[in-house]
Amino acid sequence: MAPLGQTVEKTRAGNRLLAARESASLLPDCLVDAKRIANTVISGWHGRRKRGIGENFWQFRPYGEGESLARIDWRRSARDDHTYVRDREWEAAHTLWLWADLSESMRFKSTLALDSKEARALVILLALAEVLSRSGERVGYPGVMEPVAARNGAERLARALYHNGATTVLPDTQMIRSPSEIIVIGDFLDSPSDVLESLSQLARRGLRGHVLEIADPAEESFPYAGRTEFTDPETGQTLTAGRAETLVDDYRRAYIARRTTLGQGLRRLGWTFTTHRTDHPASQALASIHTYLSGGAGGMTTAIQGRTP
Amino acid sequence: MSSLPFAFASPAVLLALLALPAIWWLLRLTPPRPNREVFPPLRILASVLKRDETAAKSPWWLTVLRMLAAAAVILAIANPVLNPRQNAVADTGPLVLIIDNGWTSAPDWPQRLTAANALLDDAEDRNVAVSLLLTADAAHDAVPVSADVARQRLTAATAQPLLPQRAAAFTALKTGLLGVTPGSLVFMTDGIAEGERDTTLNDLATLQSADIRLITDTGDNAIAVTTAANNADTMSVTLTRLNSAAAQTVPLTAYDSRGRAIGNGTATFEAGANTATGSISAPFELRNDFARIGIDGLSTAGATYLLDDNFRRRRVALLSGEVSDQTQPLLSPLYYINRALSPYADLIQPRETDLSIAVPELLAQKPSALIMADIGRLPEPIYGPVKTWIEQGGTLIRFAGPRLAGAPAEDPLVPVTLRQGERALGGALSWSEPQPLADYPASSPFSGMAKPESVRVNRQVLAEPTPDLAERTWASLADGTPLVTTSTVGAGRIILFHVSAETSWSNLPVTGDFVDMLRRTVQLSRGSAATGNIVEATTLAPYRLLNANGALITETGSARPLTLREGAAPVVSQDNPPGLYGSQDGFTALNLFGKDTTLRPLADAPSVVRETLAGSPQHALKPALLTTALLLMLIDTLIVLFLRGGLKWTRRAALPMLLLALSCLLLPVDPTKADDSRPNESQIMDNLATTHLAYVKTGESDVDTISERGLAGLTDWLTWRTTLEPAAAVGLDIASDELSFYPLIYWPISATAPMPSAEAVSRIEAYMRGGGTVLFDTRDQFSSLSGNADQGPNAERLQAILANLDIPPLEPVPPDHVLTKSFYLLNAFPGRYSGSPLWTESRLDGNQSQRSRSGDGVSPILITGNDFAGAWAIDAAGAPLLPTVPPDDVQREHAFRTGTNIMMYMLTGNYKADQVHVPALLERLGQ
Repeated sequence: MAPLGQTVEKTRAGNRLLAARESASLLPDCLVDAKRIANTVISGWHGRRKRGIGENFWQFRPYGEGESLARIDWRRSARDDHTYVRDREWEAAHTLWLWADLSESMRFKSTLALDSKEARALVILLALAEVLSRSGERVGYPGVMEPVAARNGAERLARALYHNGATTVLPDTQMIRSPSEIIVIGDFLDSPSDVLESLSQLARRGLRGHVLEIADPAEESFPYAGRTEFTDPETGQTLTAGRAETLVDDYRRAYIARRTTLGQGLRRLGWTFTTHRTDHPASQALASIHTYLSGGAGGMTTAIQGRTP
Repeated sequence: MSSLPFAFASPAVLLALLALPAIWWLLRLTPPRPNREVFPPLRILASVLKRDETAAKSPWWLTVLRMLAAAAVILAIANPVLNPRQNAVADTGPLVLIIDNGWTSAPDWPQRLTAANALLDDAEDRNVAVSLLLTADAAHDAVPVSADVARQRLTAATAQPLLPQRAAAFTALKTGLLGVTPGSLVFMTDGIAEGERDTTLNDLATLQSADIRLITDTGDNAIAVTTAANNADTMSVTLTRLNSAAAQTVPLTAYDSRGRAIGNGTATFEAGANTATGSISAPFELRNDFARIGIDGLSTAGATYLLDDNFRRRRVALLSGEVSDQTQPLLSPLYYINRALSPYADLIQPRETDLSIAVPELLAQKPSALIMADIGRLPEPIYGPVKTWIEQGGTLIRFAGPRLAGAPAEDPLVPVTLRQGERALGGALSWSEPQPLADYPASSPFSGMAKPESVRVNRQVLAEPTPDLAERTWASLADGTPLVTTSTVGAGRIILFHVSAETSWSNLPVTGDFVDMLRRTVQLSRGSAATGNIVEATTLAPYRLLNANGALITETGSARPLTLREGAAPVVSQDNPPGLYGSQDGFTALNLFGKDTTLRPLADAPSVVRETLAGSPQHALKPALLTTALLLMLIDTLIVLFLRGGLKWTRRAALPMLLLALSCLLLPVDPTKADDSRPNESQIMDNLATTHLAYVKTGESDVDTISERGLAGLTDWLTWRTTLEPAAAVGLDIASDELSFYPLIYWPISATAPMPSAEAVSRIEAYMRGGGTVLFDTRDQFSSLSGNADQGPNAERLQAILANLDIPPLEPVPPDHVLTKSFYLLNAFPGRYSGSPLWTESRLDGNQSQRSRSGDGVSPILITGNDFAGAWAIDAAGAPLLPTVPPDDVQREHAFRTGTNIMMYMLTGNYKADQVHVPALLERLGQ
């Protein structure tokens, strides 16, 4: 009997770019809520609904003493007796860090899944990069790519990943200097406390995070039966179950418990937590991440439990 | 080991059983291989997995199963045999092997050979000589020889259609042994006693051999037909059998002279009876055609009963006193006799009206019966021959009439003394009423027939009362006066109907009883065969003989003429094996068993070891063991699959899979189906798919090329002009190629080519008889100037070939022949030359010859001298190869049309001949 799951070849980021583009094109431009990023001064394309430096007209206001004469809008002022200053809307760009766990365990793909976890993670990663770049956000990848604001952010990210594949288990946070948002994609099969500990360091530095857990359906539902030898793809450790079908209930309980623990811990940090199964379309995960980024339904601080089986 | 009914052919292999413990250890140690799965959340799994669930070793019962499989394989390789054969031949003296190769041995002759060969092998092992005797053979050579020589003699021996002659064999044995005491004496017998007092076993016991073994067959083959009698409505058959224990029903089949089964019946042996009488019901006409009666499924000479002319249709001569007047047939007495007898007998009538010429002429045709209707007097010189003929077995049937009534009383050819004149019953001057018939007397051949109620007799001739009148009467009127009387004269008989054969004296001739009475009367007469009148010993040459399988063969071998003596039934012997003796025109049948023979089992004798021919058969256990091992391994596989959970996903498909597996197991596999192809089969199938024209390869390349190109031209023409689209023409080597695929074979005769062998010619003859047609082309219409005036060398060659063929009479194609209108309307059949007629089978007169020929009346032979192929031959571009003589395109066109007509005639037969009836049909339809 052929095994249910297998470790597939490592996915080339470039190959996934096309799929990512397709997913991204389904989404509207991502308007990242700027509420928490008031201090960011680098101009972007998003009006912040307040006066500031920018290119677009925001309001006319009466000239105050001490202001530079050069700011007077003479055309408006000529209409009546007052002198007006033309304010512009404050436009700012946002920095978003993307990171995906591309380790060995992510390359698992069962026969029930459409893709390996790694491939799915890459698709979502690049799709996000595409969406964010299109909206003018600065997109970076810790340890791989400094944040850039470019229309072709996804391509750049794909190229950077292609050249130096980053497989560190948790984000290399050296590059993250300013408070920004980070999107973490992975399977988080290590113990929840370890994961939470490393992520909480980031949170303490003021980063806001969105965690997307990608799970293979086989990992969730445990469809194995009979005498089965299980191998950990990362450590090579093996376990033999005499009758795998008897373990289903226990395993599922443990699996969900891990997920719940992780979700609760992240919520406590103020991060969001989403789960995604590789037998569902990638756009589903992309849509929910997009919702969080836009500050839409669910709110910023509400961690949404992923659908559990 | 010899005491056990069990032996190993290679016992050394059994040592491998010692390895079983090692296998056990290995099997126990190897757990079933698990499914291997990559599983990233292993840590989570590890937290829930209970360690003790993993089976480190195979379950013990699985190991036992595998051990059993291994043991079965080892045992199978050791090749165990249940009930092995043992060599029981004594080594004290020569082995005497007596084999009954009589009539019952034919069906299981190979079995006998096998058993005998095994004995010879045993003798060779023991290094003793063998004295081989075949009891039904003519010559016996009982001198002990080596087993090798005996084996050769045994190979040459065959079953004989004869009775074993054991006494002669025993004498030969005593002579051959020259006083040496034999070791083992094996008598492979059919178990049938020879005559009333059979002393064979006692005789054998006198030889003082070391042991006597009697090998008998089951005796089921020993059923023989002893008599067959053609009764009034059935053919009754008497059978005898050897095994009389159980009740048995034997199916009987009657065959005609061509071997077609035309009647069926059964005979039932009661339990304990060794004779039975069965019957084959068939219409009278069909029973006349019976030539042979056989027992279904039993092909021995004894189970086949040959019938000869005594069972055949009678030839009946008709004579009438009055001039036959065809304009008023209902007044002619012969008309009624003719109508009554023609279905049952061959009727002959004189061509001359002069009785003194007509009667000897009729008698020369050897009729069984002579019917004289109202003949009062015969010419004086005729009485002598007629009387002689009757005394030799002829049957004279006479009908009364005015002439007989007026004839003088001292007629020697009437059975009873007649009164002058006739008696009238009913009428203006009579008080009596027309008389009905009384019941038939029991002694009469008519007894058993229903009493005719409707017959009324108005007028009759009366017999003078004599003491024996009653017993000479076969039928009488209600008032007791005889209507049919008879008397025997020598071997023959005279029968007189006291009424006329037409309706003026009675209405008897228009009733069905007349038919039955005449039929039975004629049936009583003797056959017209050569056996009909035996005066002194005659000899008959063997004509067809029965072989051991009960089939009639033409090969007569060493058979000698059969001598027939009056009063003594011929007996089957070495010189006269059963069969037909005589000639095609008349023969007598000699059957293996005479009337009232019964088969008795061989008398028992003490100190005789009885064995059956089949013996206690050896059983090789190897296949069974290997099958067991395979099944065990299959079960093992299923168990392992189940243990690994592999069967889980098949739950949905489990039922169909199980059914499939079951049906695979249950379906009987017929090993003979594996390969039923025969050599050249694909080629044959190709030839069958389309019609091919064919020509005979003469071996001369120029002639063959013209033939090939000619038929190619005709093929093109046919494809172009007709719906017949033949495939490429085929050149045939008539000595070896299969001919039956081709409707027509074109044979260009070439005098310079080698003469075809006798076998080739006989193949051609078989082809023609099977419905094929050969078109001979001498191609020498204008070349006969070179040779003698009449015919060229090619025609002479054709004559030489045809001399060996059984060809029908020929005629040039008549103007109304089908060939002239089968596609085109033609009145000549030219080829390269014109002028030579196309010869075809003569149609003789009417339908007689058409019916006798197979193939829808298509002539099996066509002969021309016009060189058809030369006219048809075209090159690759379609241009004619040879000029016609004289150069004439119209003649070539007609040559092609001739070819088309011939092909259509071949393929459609006499279909177009029906068109000659079209005018008549239209006329009948009134159009």
